[in-house]
Amino acid sequence: MPAFPEVAWFLSLGRLMAAEAELFRRLGYAEVSFAIRFLADDGETTEAATGVEISGYAMSRAVDFDETDGFDPDFVICGRRSVWLRMLDEIARGGRPELRHTLSSLALIGEELWLESTDQLREDKFYRFNQTLQELFNLAAKMPQ
Amino acid sequence: MPTVQIKDEERIGTQARIKLEPSAYMRKLYETGTPDLGWMSDHGEWGMRAKPGNLGLRLKDIGIGSYGIIPDHGAEHRSMAPRGSSIPSDVPSLDFTVNDKAECWADNVMELYEEAVARQWSSARDIPWDELKPLPDDLERAMCQLCTFLTEVEFIAADAPTRWMSRINHDFLEVKLFLATQAMDEARHTDVFRKRALANGGGLGKASPISELSLKRILDAPSFSAQTGRLHLLGEGFVLTMFRQGEFIAQGRVDQEIFRRCMQDESRHVGYGTMHLRTQLKSRPELADEIHAELDDAEHILLQTFSVPELVEPMAILMGGGVDHFDKGLEIQSQLWRRIISEYLQRCDAAGLDRRPRCLLPPDFSKLIEA
Repeated sequence: MPAFPEVAWFLSLGRLMAAEAELFRRLGYAEVSFAIRFLADDGETTEAATGVEISGYAMSRAVDFDETDGFDPDFVICGRRSVWLRMLDEIARGGRPELRHTLSSLALIGEELWLESTDQLREDKFYRFNQTLQELFNLAAKMPQ
Repeated sequence: MPTVQIKDEERIGTQARIKLEPSAYMRKLYETGTPDLGWMSDHGEWGMRAKPGNLGLRLKDIGIGSYGIIPDHGAEHRSMAPRGSSIPSDVPSLDFTVNDKAECWADNVMELYEEAVARQWSSARDIPWDELKPLPDDLERAMCQLCTFLTEVEFIAADAPTRWMSRINHDFLEVKLFLATQAMDEARHTDVFRKRALANGGGLGKASPISELSLKRILDAPSFSAQTGRLHLLGEGFVLTMFRQGEFIAQGRVDQEIFRRCMQDESRHVGYGTMHLRTQLKSRPELADEIHAELDDAEHILLQTFSVPELVEPMAILMGGGVDHFDKGLEIQSQLWRRIISEYLQRCDAAGLDRRPRCLLPPDFSKLIEA
């Protein structure tokens, strides 16, 4: 089975998103691209990075993210392995992360997750489409283990 | 076809003060039965076939031909005659006073309008109110006080810009459409925080004179752009961070959903304000002084707002997890303060306003105490 944050893992998530189209329609469309940076627990070494694009109510793209390859995300969500895996473990167990472990909460202080962007207005899409992003990640509960 | 029965039909018009005279056209139509049809050849650019994109037919999709041109100066007739239509010379003026594009426009306004329409939500339907659980007394009191503050201040972002809406030249209708969605968003924020305060055993807390002063200053702003600086850039930027904090401090799904959804709405407003100021300052750089002066005063009031117990303490109690952890909450608050200042200044940068040298807000939270 593909593992987070491999491209194949996100493509599976994208298929779940398509299957849950009604939920995402109700939230409203989103047009946002972002990347996930999966760091070793030293907080410096990038172990993997994947770029994701949501267009409307569906995931339109998931690619290996390499800053030189032309994928230009609105923001990059960075986090240590242990933080990402804890969030996904909580989602797998409860359908959603525990309080204070949502994407927005983890990125609030900027220690557990943090955002990188060169443009505050593009970074603000993390907030504009936050419900969609969180519901997308919550679908990980339905991923085959 | 059956005749529609109108109650007391015989009384209609018996006391009318104006005598009805049929128009020459109606008389001719009655006499000849021949329609005029002149309007069929009196129109704007014809043959348009706007194509919907993957998300339906959006404003950007109808920006085709001459209809896609937003004029730098609004039409002199100052009426609501639709941009691009055939406009008779005798339309009465509605006396719009915001007649230049740069005074109200933002390049993301169409995108934000459509997004706002698509992402509306209902505080009655979309918040899982039945999951609300009793909280310890200190946390419920703190949440109710926070909700009191938010329900007190949120509607200013409807009242203030809509004062200007009626003054904006109708050639910039996209701006008016967006501001209408903002007003709807703020109506929902006002209602949802009032509902939250009344839903879990508490009630409304204490209103704030300093908050009211900040609202008054927003209403009194001398121009739409000056108001945008105060309201969208500073005020809503700060409230956006408060909503993010709200999602963090939530003790259950109800509070989490409320704050997360409000956060989404608020970030659209901040996005519009930032981009509008960029447009305005690019067009008239000399206005930077006026915006700076507004922000000088607004930041000063904001510092006073964050210096009263009814605002500082609820947030610290909620951040820390109770009165017993007040210090911890204050520590988290101080960590957040730097982020708030950083994001505010980056938005100023994005607007084309070099605010750093004049900014009154100290990056270090402890300086609030020293000040």
